[in-house]
Amino acid sequence: MEILFGFVGKDYALTASDNTAARSIVVQKRGEDKSRILSKHTLLSYNGEAGDTCQFSDYIAANIKLYEIKNGVALSTAACTKFTRRELANSLRSRNAYQVNLLISGSDPKTGVPSLFWLDHLASANKVNYTAHGYASYFILSTMDLYWHENLTLEEGLGLVKKCLKELKIRFIGNLPDFFIKVVDKNGIREIKL
Amino acid sequence: MALKFELPKSGFNFDNYNRNLILESKGLKSPKTIKTGTTIVGCVYKDGIVLGADTRATNGPIVADKNCEKIHYLAPNMYCCGAGTAADTEFTTNLISSKLELHRLATNRQSRVVTAMTMLKQMLFRYQGNIGAALVLGGYDVTGPHLYTIAPHGSTDKLPYVTMGSGSLAAMTIFENGWKKDMSREEAIEIVKDAIESGIFNDLGSGSNVDVVVITKDKTEVLRNYKRPNERVKKEQSYKYPRGTTAVLKTSIRNFVDVTEGVATPMDLS
Amino acid sequence: MSIMSYNGGAIVAMKGKNCVAIASDRRFGVQALTLTHDFQKVFEINDKIYIGLGGLATDVQTLSETFRYRVNMYNLKEEREIQPKTFAHLVSSTLYEKRFGPYYCEPVIAGLEKDGSPFICSTDLIGCTTFPNDFVVTGTAEQQLYGMCESLWEPNLEPEDLFEIISQALLNAVDRDAVSGWGAIVHVITEDKVITRTLRGRMD
Repeated sequence: MEILFGFVGKDYALTASDNTAARSIVVQKRGEDKSRILSKHTLLSYNGEAGDTCQFSDYIAANIKLYEIKNGVALSTAACTKFTRRELANSLRSRNAYQVNLLISGSDPKTGVPSLFWLDHLASANKVNYTAHGYASYFILSTMDLYWHENLTLEEGLGLVKKCLKELKIRFIGNLPDFFIKVVDKNGIREIKL
Repeated sequence: MALKFELPKSGFNFDNYNRNLILESKGLKSPKTIKTGTTIVGCVYKDGIVLGADTRATNGPIVADKNCEKIHYLAPNMYCCGAGTAADTEFTTNLISSKLELHRLATNRQSRVVTAMTMLKQMLFRYQGNIGAALVLGGYDVTGPHLYTIAPHGSTDKLPYVTMGSGSLAAMTIFENGWKKDMSREEAIEIVKDAIESGIFNDLGSGSNVDVVVITKDKTEVLRNYKRPNERVKKEQSYKYPRGTTAVLKTSIRNFVDVTEGVATPMDLS
Repeated sequence: MSIMSYNGGAIVAMKGKNCVAIASDRRFGVQALTLTHDFQKVFEINDKIYIGLGGLATDVQTLSETFRYRVNMYNLKEEREIQPKTFAHLVSSTLYEKRFGPYYCEPVIAGLEKDGSPFICSTDLIGCTTFPNDFVVTGTAEQQLYGMCESLWEPNLEPEDLFEIISQALLNAVDRDAVSGWGAIVHVITEDKVITRTLRGRMD
């Protein structure tokens, strides 16, 4: 029932994630930020099995930070994705694999070119323009397919987010009240309130 | 970050086993491996051994290869027909072949058929039938001609004529009907060919051509595609598409360049 | 639902006259849901060898990295380019090593040998190799591709004719497969160049 989607715009990458931590039919917490900062210009958003998500994203965030400290240079968004995919693929070969779905959004610190990567729990990785995880994808991929274009300004982008959330409110049984919307651009990562 | 890649140690690797169990528990069926449905046979004659095989490999109901090779080299005086899981027969015979070669180099003697047979059965028994190789082993050594069958679980038989694979029943009828002691070379090849053909035409898992190998005291002949009873007729018409039929979105051409070395300057050794 | 058809895909390689072609669709999906249509399934090994990996996408990506690593190690150790036949055995052994816990991936290989003759090869998921002299296919549209290729392929096709044949075989095959399609890419490898074309196909 968790919702996670995102897209790239003209000079930013945006992800939207619900802020609900639920277990079975019980809401345990509102205001849960289901993302980790990998570097100044790369954000990891996740959902999936409760324990796995925290465990895995902390592990990834720590290792990518370690790389940055060791080498004095941060990994690019694509490199973060390659590393994350490989870790997830390796964990898949163990008895208890991480059940996590991920979006990695980023922006090139020099050129500002945004990028967004989609990874599922089987560790398939894809560079995408717009995407979603879970049930939400059945409702809003078509919305994004219709309205997305490569020169989407931030204003238009937020309009698109509103359209998607509206669609989910209307048609999706698990309609969740509140979302974290995060934008990565040349200046770094920031949260946007709708 | 630790190096995630390492060149593998020898032997099987079970890393994916648990993951695949999880995937299968989600109701995703595991895919099929290529099998050699197969008719393979062997028979002893006056001067040695004749081995025979069909050439069809199947993947479920699909013919995966119309002209594959099922008679594997083991040693100059020894060949082995394989039925069952194709990758298993291929890798098992390759492994034993390499071990025999090393053994020959160490002992300076011709390999014996019992040696190969023992190595094969011990390996297959160790894997408890999980390596799906059913083999017909034939060869000629200092003790004369020998013909064995080796089942996937590691049991063996030594007989004057043998058949294996899904076409084994069809092939066996030919031997039971026509096999004689001390046949000539021509008679032996003929009965082996007939046995394989009866598999090719009566068993759906077998098909295409007949491969034959004749092993005698000091000569081994490989008669690849000895008989081709299922030759495809030439197409009467060409179904070529005129150039430009396919709608192309983008073309990129990468030309190779030849790099020629300039005049070599000798290294300064002073 | 087989694991091999979880992500969908179709790949084919064909021999021509002193040339060889390899083509794949570009869809990436999760069962019936299509997510991208620029997924790479055919990978360059060196100038004259390409490998197409059909099957579960995560294993396609893992194996492509494994093969790149192993070929790089080969080049460094041997100080020469790997030959198609050698590479086919490398692929076969890599897969057979995981005989009892396989990668869900069936590769096809296309390349030109030293003397310029075409080379194609396919293996099953545990590395059973086949070396036919016409064409090899893999993926969820395997059956459709077999039908198309059996009727369209003929010996000694020139590069341009080979391109048309392989493209039409692929496009028409994936039109009858729900989980393949959404564009296609074709590489034709000849002695002196590689021609890569992306095709227009149905996007449904």
